Parts: sequence; C-alpha cells; structure tokens
Amino acid sequence: MKFSINWLREFIDLPKDPEEIAELLTRAGIETKRIETRGANIEKVFVSQITATSRHPNADRLTVCEVDDGSGTKRQIVCGATNYKVGDKVPLALPGAKLPNGTEIRKSKLRGVESEGMLCSPIELDLGEDASGLLILSADVKVGASIADIFPADTILDVEITPNRGDLLSHFGLAREIAALSGQPLRLPPAGQAPALQKSSVNLTANRECPFFSLRRIDNVNVGPSPVWLRAKIESVGIRSINNIVDISNFVMLEFGQPTHAFDADKLKGNINVRLAHDGEKFLALDGKTYSLKPDNCVVADQDRAVGIGGVMGGEETGVTDSTKNILLEAAYFLPASIRRTARDLNLQSDASYRFERGVDPEMVLRASQRAAELMRDIAGGIPANEIQVAGEPPLNLADVPLSYDKCDRVIGVAISPKTVDEILMRFGLRKTAGKSETATWRIPSYRRDLRRDVDLIEEVLRAYGIDKIPGRTRGRFVSTSDADRSHDLESLVLRERLTTCGLSEVRTSKLISRTASALNEAVELRNPLSEDHVALRPSLISGLLEVLERNIRAGAESVSIFEIGRAFIPPSGKEERHIGILLWGNVATTPNWRSQTRRTLDLFDLKGALECIVPDLLFRPGRFAELALAVEVWFGHQLLGFGGQLLGSKSSATGPVFVAELNADLLLAGVGSAKTFRELDRYPGITRDIAMIVPEKLTHAEILRVIRQPAEPLLEKVQLFDLFEVRDGGAATGPGKSLAYRLTYRAKNRTLTNEEVTEAHAKIRERLKRELGVTPRE
Amino acid sequence: MHSLEQLRNDALREIESARDEKSLEAVRVKYLGKNGSISAWGERMKTLAKDERPVVGKLLSDARNTVTAAIEQRGAKIRAEEEFDALAKIDISLPGTPHEIGSLHPLHQMHDRAIQIFRRMGFALAEGPDIETEWYCFDALNTPADHPARNEQDTFYLPDGRLLRTHTSTVQIRTMESAPPPIRVIASGAAYRRDELDATHSPQFHQIEGLYVDKNVSVADLKGELEFFMRELFGAETEVQFRPHYFPFTEPSLEIHVRSKALKSGEQWIEVAGCGIVHPAVFEAVNQARGDDAYDPEKWSGYAFGLGMDRLAMILFEIPDIRLFSQNDLRFLRQFA
Repeated sequence: MKFSINWLREFIDLPKDPEEIAELLTRAGIETKRIETRGANIEKVFVSQITATSRHPNADRLTVCEVDDGSGTKRQIVCGATNYKVGDKVPLALPGAKLPNGTEIRKSKLRGVESEGMLCSPIELDLGEDASGLLILSADVKVGASIADIFPADTILDVEITPNRGDLLSHFGLAREIAALSGQPLRLPPAGQAPALQKSSVNLTANRECPFFSLRRIDNVNVGPSPVWLRAKIESVGIRSINNIVDISNFVMLEFGQPTHAFDADKLKGNINVRLAHDGEKFLALDGKTYSLKPDNCVVADQDRAVGIGGVMGGEETGVTDSTKNILLEAAYFLPASIRRTARDLNLQSDASYRFERGVDPEMVLRASQRAAELMRDIAGGIPANEIQVAGEPPLNLADVPLSYDKCDRVIGVAISPKTVDEILMRFGLRKTAGKSETATWRIPSYRRDLRRDVDLIEEVLRAYGIDKIPGRTRGRFVSTSDADRSHDLESLVLRERLTTCGLSEVRTSKLISRTASALNEAVELRNPLSEDHVALRPSLISGLLEVLERNIRAGAESVSIFEIGRAFIPPSGKEERHIGILLWGNVATTPNWRSQTRRTLDLFDLKGALECIVPDLLFRPGRFAELALAVEVWFGHQLLGFGGQLLGSKSSATGPVFVAELNADLLLAGVGSAKTFRELDRYPGITRDIAMIVPEKLTHAEILRVIRQPAEPLLEKVQLFDLFEVRDGGAATGPGKSLAYRLTYRAKNRTLTNEEVTEAHAKIRERLKRELGVTPRE
Repeated sequence: MHSLEQLRNDALREIESARDEKSLEAVRVKYLGKNGSISAWGERMKTLAKDERPVVGKLLSDARNTVTAAIEQRGAKIRAEEEFDALAKIDISLPGTPHEIGSLHPLHQMHDRAIQIFRRMGFALAEGPDIETEWYCFDALNTPADHPARNEQDTFYLPDGRLLRTHTSTVQIRTMESAPPPIRVIASGAAYRRDELDATHSPQFHQIEGLYVDKNVSVADLKGELEFFMRELFGAETEVQFRPHYFPFTEPSLEIHVRSKALKSGEQWIEVAGCGIVHPAVFEAVNQARGDDAYDPEKWSGYAFGLGMDRLAMILFEIPDIRLFSQNDLRFLRQFA
C-alpha cells in the first residue's frame, strides 16, 4: 500500500529524511519497497483560467486558448486536450518552467501559432496518473496562485503490509505503529459529535458473516468533482478520483482503514437486508461485470435484489451518480474468512475486500461512518441524519493473552527484563490486566486481531527490542545419516560424477510440460494450468531432453550429450519416481583437434557405454517402444530398469539419429548401493590368446560369448572383443558376414600357467566354437 | 711402456672428450679391450717379482675400475644428451589432448554447495513428494482455508484435489510425523507457483528447507546458525540482517538479507531467505496427525527456514535470467563446468 508522508504527519511527527522512516519500518518488518517524491520542484506553474478558445487554423487536433494568468494580461496557449471548457481553472506552465518529467517550457510556435506556455495534465506535473486531459482545478482556487502551494511536495512510501497486519492498511494505522516503534506521541484524528444509535429497520440475517452493520442517511448532497486537496490526497496514493462522495469514502478508508459504501438512497426499494445470497443469484457489480452468487456469499439487498456484495463491491445500479441526491452510507464489520472466500470464489478483489479479509478494527466502524458523514456535509453540502441505524453487535474483543517472561526469554534466546517487555507491549496498545512476577495477562487492543497466543506477543517484543541486539548462538548436535543422505551421495558418486566424466552435461528441464508434449504420453494434468507451456506433470524425462536438443541445435551445437536426474510422475496416480534420462546426438568430438584420428557420430554403443559407465554389468535385451526405431530394454539382474535406443526419425527434427535412454534411478542405485570389498590382487601372470573368426551376419556377439564362456573354463579370466568389420564374402560357409576378433586371458590364482595348459584350454574353446556355431577360428 | 698412472690419465681425458657412443667405444677398446694398453699390464704382471705383484695388481685394478666407471658415466651422459636432442624438437606449445568432460547444472552445484555447508553444521537430508495434499501444504502449516496467506490462486491443483507443493515446508510436517524430536534436517527440492515465466519468475523453482527442533531452540540459535551459513556461502565479510516478517507457520517470522562487497549487488541488501521459530500450531497439527504429544510446544521448540535456490544461484553466479536454468543451452551449462 502507498502512504503519503504528508498525510502521516497529520498524526505523528516524523523525521525529515524519508529514508529514516523507511528504515525504521523495514527493521520492524514493514518493508518499504519504494520511495517516490511527488509534486516537488514545480516552479513557474500557476493557476490560470481559460477565458476563450478557438480552433487552431492549421491543425484539427489542437485548439488555441486564451487564458488569464492572474497578472492581468491574457496569454495565448496552444493546447491538445479537449476535456475543458471556458471558465475552467487549469495549471499553466510559463516559459522557463521545468516540469518533473524534464520538459522545459519555452515560448514557441506550434504549427504557425504562437504559444506562450503550456497547460498541464496531472501526469505532466507528477500529480496523478491521468494523462488523458488537463488537470481541472476546483473552482475555489485563486487565479495566479502557485501550483506548488496548492500541491505541496510529498513523499510516497510504497509499503508491503504482511497479511497478518490489516491494522496497518491506513494512514492512521501506520502512524500508530510508528508511534509504538519510535515512542513519538500519536495525534488522534478529530472525532465529531457522535450520532445517536438507532436499532433499525435493517434486517440482518447473515449475522455470522456480518456481525455488525450500520447505515446513515445523508440528504441533499451535491455530487461533483472533489476539491483539489481531497483529489490530490487520494491520487497521491494511487486511487483514482471519481466524484466527491466516492472520493470521501475512499479517503476515509485510506485514513482509518475502514471501508464504507455510499448507496443512492433513491434507487433502493424498501428495507435493507443483509443476508446470504440465493444460489445462482445474479449481481451486476460496480466493475460492470455480472456475478453469479452462491449461498455462502453475504449480500446487502433491498426488498427486490442484491445491491452489494457485502464487504467486496457495491452494485452498478445503486451506485452514486452525478444525479444522486440522497445517500445511504454503509459501514460494517464483515467476517474475514467469509470475505476471503467470497472474493476468491468470485475472483473479485477490491480495496474493501483486501481490508475486510485481513480484519478491520470493529471499534472503527462507527467512527469511520461519522468521519465520512461529516466530510459529505462539509464538502458536498449533505445533511446527515441525526441517527445511525445499526444491526448486530461488533465482535467481542479478543481473549486476554497470558505471557510468561521466562518463555519470552527462551524463545528469543536472551534475557529481557519484565519491565522492558511490559513497556514494549504497552507501547503497542496492550494493557496488563493481571500480573505476577513470572506471568502477566494482557488485554489486546481491538485493532490487533493477529495477537492471539503468547508467541504473537513475543514477536512484538522482538520487533521492538531489535533483532540486532540478540547475540547469535551456535551449538552442535550430531545427527545420523538418513536414507535421503545415502541416496543423495550415491546419486552424486555413481550418476553425476561418472556421467560427467563420460562427457555428458547435466540439464534441468521443467517438471511441468506443455500441451504438445503431454499429448504424446499419458500424463497427470493440472486442473488449473496457467499457460499452454505448463499443463501436466512429466511422466518421462525424454520430452524435456528433446526440447533441450532442439534448442541447442538451433544455437548451432554439433553435438549434444546430456543427462538429467529428476522426478517423473507416473500416471494415473502421479507416483513419483526418480529417473535418469540420457540423450546423445551428433559428433563424438565437438571441437576440431589435431590429435583426433576419426570423426564419427555418436551411436547406440556410445549410449550403452554411458550406461555401462554407471553400472558395468547391465543387460540389454531387444524391446519394443512406440517412439523408438531401435529399442533395448535395460536390465540389472532380474530388474527391468528402463529402456534405451534410437528415436524414430519423426520424433525429432534433428538431422541424424538421436539416442535416448531413461532408467528408474531408484532401482538402479538400489542395485549398486552395496559396499565394495577387497579382492586379492593377481599374483601370477596371465597368458593371452587371440581368436579371430568370420561368422554369418546374424550371429551375435552375445551368442559367441556364451559359447566361449559356457561351460565355464576355470582358467579363462576374461574375453574382450577387439576387432569387428564386415566382410563381403566370407567364403562358401558363411557368405557375406563379419569378422570378429577376441582376446582371451587365461590365469590361475595359485601358479604360473604353462603354455601347454593354456593351449589345451584354448583348443577346447576353439573346438566348441567350431562345433556349436560352425565357425572356423583363425589364429 | 707407459706407466699405469699415465695410461689411466690418458684414458680419462679421452673419455671426457668422446662426443658419441662410437668414439667412447673406441676408447674402451683402446684401453680395456683384449689388446688394450691397460689390459696389457695384466700380461706384464706375470713377469714381475713375486713381492711386486700385489702392489702392481692393486694399481692395475684401481686403474681398470676408474676407467670403467668413467666410461659408464660418460656413456649415460651421451645417451641422455641424445634423448634431450631428440625431444627438443617437439613443439610443446601444441594444445593438450582434449578430454570431453561434462558439466553439472549450476542449480545442482548451488544445491550441493548449500548441502555441504549444512552437513558441516550437522543437518541430515530429508525428502518429501512434489504432489501434496492441502493438509501438508497449508492446514498443518497453520494456514487454514480462508486464510489470506493461503493463496489458492497461486497454487497448481490436480483434478483429484491434490496440489503441487508451493514450498518445501511440507517436508517439515512429513519429517515430524515420522520421527519424534530432536530433529535436524534439510530438504532440497522443487516447489511450484502459478506464476508466468519471466526473467525472475518460474512456475517451478527450487528450495532448501531446514528444520531444527530441540530443547530451548531460540531466535538466538536461528540467528547464529543461519549467520554462519550465510557467511560460509557468501564469504566471511558478508553482513547478515534479520528483519521481522510474516509467515503463518513461524512466530516470530524473519527474513534474512545479506550484503557483501564481493557480490555484484554491492551496497544493496538482498533478501535470501525466510525463517522463524516454528509456530506452536504447527506442532499441535503434527501431534494431532501422530496421535501423541511428542511435539509438546511447551517442551520443544524449533526453527525453520527456506532458501530460494534459483535466486541464490542467480546472485552467486551473476545469472541475469531465471529462464536460463531451464533452457539448458550447452554454452550456458559449459560456463559452469
């Protein structure tokens, strides 16, 4: 909310420097977001009166005005606005004036017509937001008076009020808080002659939602523009001026925090009812929209229809217009939760609902009504009724709150003397109703509806005492490693470190995916998405990785090797699983380099290599997936972890094949999590023998390996494939095929092997290959 | 015939002047070879008187040893020189063999840095789901329906009424539900708000939540420990300021602002975290869910905090736009390799 420092000064003396005020508030938890100055340094701008106008001879959009600047001489001014008439008083910037926006005024010719100054709009003088026309001053200002005297310079604080502090949403409220924090005395606002209360004809049935309701009749008002001071005041804090009656209502709200509403009394029929809405009841509000109400919305109604949504917004048909003569002024207390629900359900927020849902001061209701009535009398010539009609009762004061001084010390962590605690609480308007040496009981002022428990009081003590005065303390506590710790560490060690070592970069894509991406897969959708880009929770990481691929290709990347570790949400329940996704595309080497021998593109075996780099003994089996042209299932033991393969060309706009894999990281890490133990180092040398063979194309590496390994030859330690190439003609036996070369390592744990032993073992394996696969091994 | 001493001195001089292995070998043959001049003294021994033999024999073996050692030494030097010469031709300014090493995402690096500091401070990790119920996200956190802080407008809902957590404070409740006090945990994860994506807002963002429940945990503990964290993270010179604020689930509630000349923001205070003393109503809600009185607010107290990791990473890495995190341009990611 915006606060005018001039306005605050009506209630309290403040330091000259606005920064000092802002600092005081900020350190007490009332954050000042911005400090603006307004109306400062307006020189050589005076009140002038338009005495004649004529059309500009050379420009349709311009007029030529003759104005009286108060010195007796008439000036000719060219003007582009249209919102004035002869006789209006408007600000005139004379040659030499420098406007707040930096414009310097000079005597000049506009389209051939001399202009001796400029008539100004509110925005040009930094006196409002209105840029649509001239600032029309009220009739009572003196021609020739300085604008700077009419609009004294002001500083506006834009303050963030937290939702628990509805009592600060007014100038008086903030001044009261500053008084409590600074110790400066508070000047109470004028309270006129209180009217007599009259139990009224108002029929209050929604007494839970609206415990207290009042109406006062004000007859014979002259609706018109507000006087300059009123308009300047409300516009200085960002409220648009409408007419004097509405402006007064807003002014009182800004001054005391209590919203009021003025009805055109002649448009109301019969008695006023404060009731719950009928289901589906239609209501045309002041914002011009029709709302369909629900039975838990509280409305103010006449005998025929709702004329206001209580505490939220009045009705279009019964609002004050230029022809309004008599007014019914509403001031009430609405239940915060009810207002909040109504405003939320109808998606209708107003300055009034904002305050009611944060809780207004019940003791301010009648005082605000009285203030508004007096202003309507003084400004609009209205005659307030002697009585104010009331229904219901203001809500009871909050229960007294006991506070133990010891607890206060324990929560804050430093001993604060009971005397200091008492002083602080009393400055905030609390009253001690009972007190022992350890505990005191405090009466809460009606405007502090947020103070309900001892900790709320302790916070007030802390705010006023000053957090800077609390010495920080550090104590140790030992905690055991949690499952989440172990899982985090394993993820770092096994997944992140190994994959980055393999040259993959980690990405983080949105867990919320777009309409297009979610159309590909079944996904848990949001009920209330905000944009088409974020409509569902990702069931898989692949769509995110593909987006990263496309973005990087657009940015000119020649190679994309990425992984992501994160949650996926499995439909229909949205079960959360930690997944790891990998995507490879493009060239192996990204930068030209003088050592590189070959330049090839990444392929399926790079994908397998990356996965095997995480866990060496994964199993890959053929699989089928709708989006993959070549698919493999990835198994760890008897556990299916996920899939991988080459994406169908149609699934990506990338040139060349794209390889993806997605595994369940929780299952994967569960498998590799077990601790490693020592295995004795080899003491005796191994002996290697190579076997090369030409085999038919269809024969797989896995089958060859199986034959070499089974039945197990005890001396055979490992088998490595070290060469593979295609052969056009493998001879009569195989036709076109491929040549594979394996290196077999033989070793015994307890002795050096002899050549004869190895030759014998090797011969058995060669024999097996010949017999079972029909291949002819070459040496 | 030259004296042995003379021969030895000649040999050493010639060894010293040998420039390559071939000339060194020639020297060796000349003196120590079968017909070498030092070897010749061996034959001559036989002609000597018996009592002279041991004396001459010792002289002879000394000369042989000295010359042999000199040849070896000279040989090693010559071979080293040859190796030096051979390798001196290599252009050492050529670039090293490149290894493609990947990079970790800056957000992960930020999380990791924070987690490391918290672990040194004795916090263990905790976890909770992204999809939550209103109970964990609001009710248990003292934010009942119709509370102004319960901003349903900003919350993503699933069709079944569940929601995406708007803060990681949900993990506070889950942790306390599953274990009695004392508690000292942090939880790192995603949270969601119904914000349009722009330079400073993202519908999905990342937080680290912390909770410490123990006997007599006070504002002083909160202040001392989080000040320590901020100085570890931003540098020892960092100024830390605590300002009162409002959160429904803490009372008192505070915001942490830091200022450091080492940061790009310089003189400006920047908000980095929200924190406070756990509200007794939160303990009461946990007790209700547990069905016991483990978190008696008169016996236990605690502090809680939440750090916005995207914001911290933006501050520390001087990243101007939050969207860079989710765009994953490799040129961006590589800057943090």
